[in-house]
Order: sequence, then structure tokens, then C-alpha cells
Amino acid sequence: MKYFNKTVITLLITTIILSACKPDSFKDLGIERDFLESLNGTWKLTKATQVDEDASKKGFPYQQLDITNLFPYTNFVFTLNVSGGAPTTFTAVPGTSPKIIKLPSGSWTVDDLKYPKNIYLKNGAATDTISLGGYPTGTSTTLKLSKEKKDAVTGKLLISYSYEFAKQ
Amino acid sequence: MKQLFYLLFFTISGLAASAQNPSFSPSSFTAEDEVTITIDVTGTGMAGVADAYLWIFSNPDLGGGADGVTNGSWTNSSDAAKLTPAGPNKFTYKFTGTTMFLQTPAQLKSFGFLLKKKDGSAQTSDYKPYFFDPLIFVPSMLRVFPSKVDVDDVVTVNFDNRYAVATNDQRMTPATFTVTMFDDLSNSVGSPVTLPVSKTDLTIWSGSFIPNASFTPAAGRKLFKFRYKINGTVLDLNGSPMTVSTAETEVTFTTMK
Repeated sequence: MKYFNKTVITLLITTIILSACKPDSFKDLGIERDFLESLNGTWKLTKATQVDEDASKKGFPYQQLDITNLFPYTNFVFTLNVSGGAPTTFTAVPGTSPKIIKLPSGSWTVDDLKYPKNIYLKNGAATDTISLGGYPTGTSTTLKLSKEKKDAVTGKLLISYSYEFAKQ
Repeated sequence: MKQLFYLLFFTISGLAASAQNPSFSPSSFTAEDEVTITIDVTGTGMAGVADAYLWIFSNPDLGGGADGVTNGSWTNSSDAAKLTPAGPNKFTYKFTGTTMFLQTPAQLKSFGFLLKKKDGSAQTSDYKPYFFDPLIFVPSMLRVFPSKVDVDDVVTVNFDNRYAVATNDQRMTPATFTVTMFDDLSNSVGSPVTLPVSKTDLTIWSGSFIPNASFTPAAGRKLFKFRYKINGTVLDLNGSPMTVSTAETEVTFTTMK
């Protein structure tokens, strides 16, 4: 009898606890972020890093170098214009900085309007491509761009450059 | 005037024909990478032949060398050593170091070769040495960063006195580096450029330049390679500073896209 009571009480408590469980409703994720719109504006270069991708792959020492102050990179100003949810024009003004983007101005497009990864720059027949390393959205206000350089014969990745920009 | 024009034309054409011979594709490669040699035998004992055979050997003048497995015998080259014709007096051959010499990447430092007739009755002189890219990091007194560079890259030259073996290099306080640039005809481009170095680590001094910002090749030519050395001072017997320089090291550009 004693054993029976214990079992019944345990079952009752378990039933009460389980019946109290309810699925939580998902919290509101907020407004969907517009990554393309976040690129819109004038950006000034704040940091430049050079990576020896071949050395990184082989695990060699001396894999990367902060080159920001080796040359006047911080003079480089990059403007991306967005209109009606689509990329339109750009300007790249190096000043005394090395030309990290070869074209001075022109039009630009992206590989994906919602989640852009590559920025394609065009001026007449001349083109240049730069990759997005980070969107300036949420808590991040830094636009991160990167350029990869591959061996022209083998296609092996040899060097990459990472650039960080602050909005003006 | 016309004769002078033709003389100049043919001189330049001749120089162009002799540019970077032999050439390698890719331009840099490890012992595990496949590489294609292209060679022009104009002006050698093999000029005008229809069939050329490769005679290849590893680590010339270093010791620990081996003959290529395709060589065959000197008076009867194997068919596997036959090069592919690529135009008048031009031949190509594709190989991978480790399989050609049956040696490990650690054993393979460099290679040399010549071209010959199958029966050995004619040959070129030796082409050597050509170095494989290391698969392990080899510390050295002079080093560029990144290890492979193109003409528009930031090139940083480094001097690490831990690996200096000459007395002056060990005692030197580095101050500048000097770069001499060459085009694809091995002509020097402009005047040598001297720029400052600064101490970037306990034993390392570094200086940077961008090749195509410091040097402009002649029309129709391109920057192909450069040599650099570190300059500094040591104190002489009277305690007065004396200018010294390291030996020069050569770097060939890698074409990138």
C-alpha cells in the first residue's frame, strides 16, 4: 500500500510538471537587414593587411603584415552609391594611397542583391572585382573588403589583401 | 639610315628571342608541382634538329643528386625523354620533380638539364641550376614578404641578422636597402632605388616598396625580376662608421590575376 501511494504521487507530480510545459513563442527578429543599403555611402580606409596565403597554407611563419602605415593607405576614399535598392555608381579616390581599386569611377553590381559577396566594378571595358569581408550592419560599423591574387598559370591563391573602411 | 633601322630591328628581335630562355610555367613550383619547360635552342649545338631529348639531373653542384628516370643512356635516350616541338628551334617538356628523380621534396633542392640528340652526337650546354620552391620554411638572412610577389604588390624586404654568416653582415647596423630592377630581356630598368629600413623585431630590419610605383619599364617590356641588398654601417678599427652592404639576392615576379 505504502509502495502504491509513492508511485501514484510520483506519477501525479510528473503529470503536473509536464502539463505545465508550453512551447515558447519565437521572439521578433526585428526588421530584416538590408545589406546592400548598408554599403551606400563614402568610406575611408582605416586598415590594410597583406596575407601570404601560400605561407599560411604551408604553416610557415610570417603569414601576414599590417601595411596600413607602410604607405599612405588611409588617404584612400571609396564611395558606393545605391538607389532604389540597386547599386548604381562608384568613385575610388586614392589620393597618395596605392590604388587598391584600379578604376577611378564607374558603375557597380553585386553577385547577390540580398546577400552580396562580390562587388563588380566597371568602367567601359575595364573591370575590377573586390569581395566583401563584412557588412557594416548591426554593431559593426566597419566595411570590410578583400582582394585575392592567384597565380596566373595554376590558379593557386598566393596573396590576399584585407581592407577596413570607416563611414564618412 | 635604312641599314641602321634594320640593324636595330634585328638586334632587338634577337634579344627578344633570347629573353628568359629557358622559361618555366608556372614560374615558381615545388618538387611536387608539375612544371613545363620551354626552351629555344637557337645558337646551340641543337639548332635545326627535328627531335630533341632531355637529359635532366637534380641538385647540380650540391651533392645528393640523381639522374632523371627518363634519361636512358647517353647514346640511346629513352622515348620518354623526347621533347615536344613547339615551333622552329623550340621545344617543351612537362615533368614533376619527385617523380622525375624519385627523390623526396626534402632531398630536392634544384635541377639542371640539357637537350641532346637521341644518340648523343649533339647537345646544348647545361642549363642550371633552377631551384624548387621549398615545402618547409627555410630561415635566411634576406627574405621578402610575401614569398611570391607580382609587380603591383607591396614587397617588404627583411634582414634577419640571426642568420648572417659574414662578419660585416653580423656586425652591421642596417639603414637602407637598394633595389635593382630588370625587365623580361634582363635589361636593368631605371636606376637602382635606395629606401630606408626600420627595426621591426629584435633581430629584423625591414623596408617596403611597390615595384611598379618605383620602376617603369620601357615600352613593350615588363618588370621581370629584381635584386636587393641591405646597406648599413659597421665601426672600423678607429671606431668610425664604415658603410657596408650584404650580397644581393634575386627575386623573380610571379604573374598573378
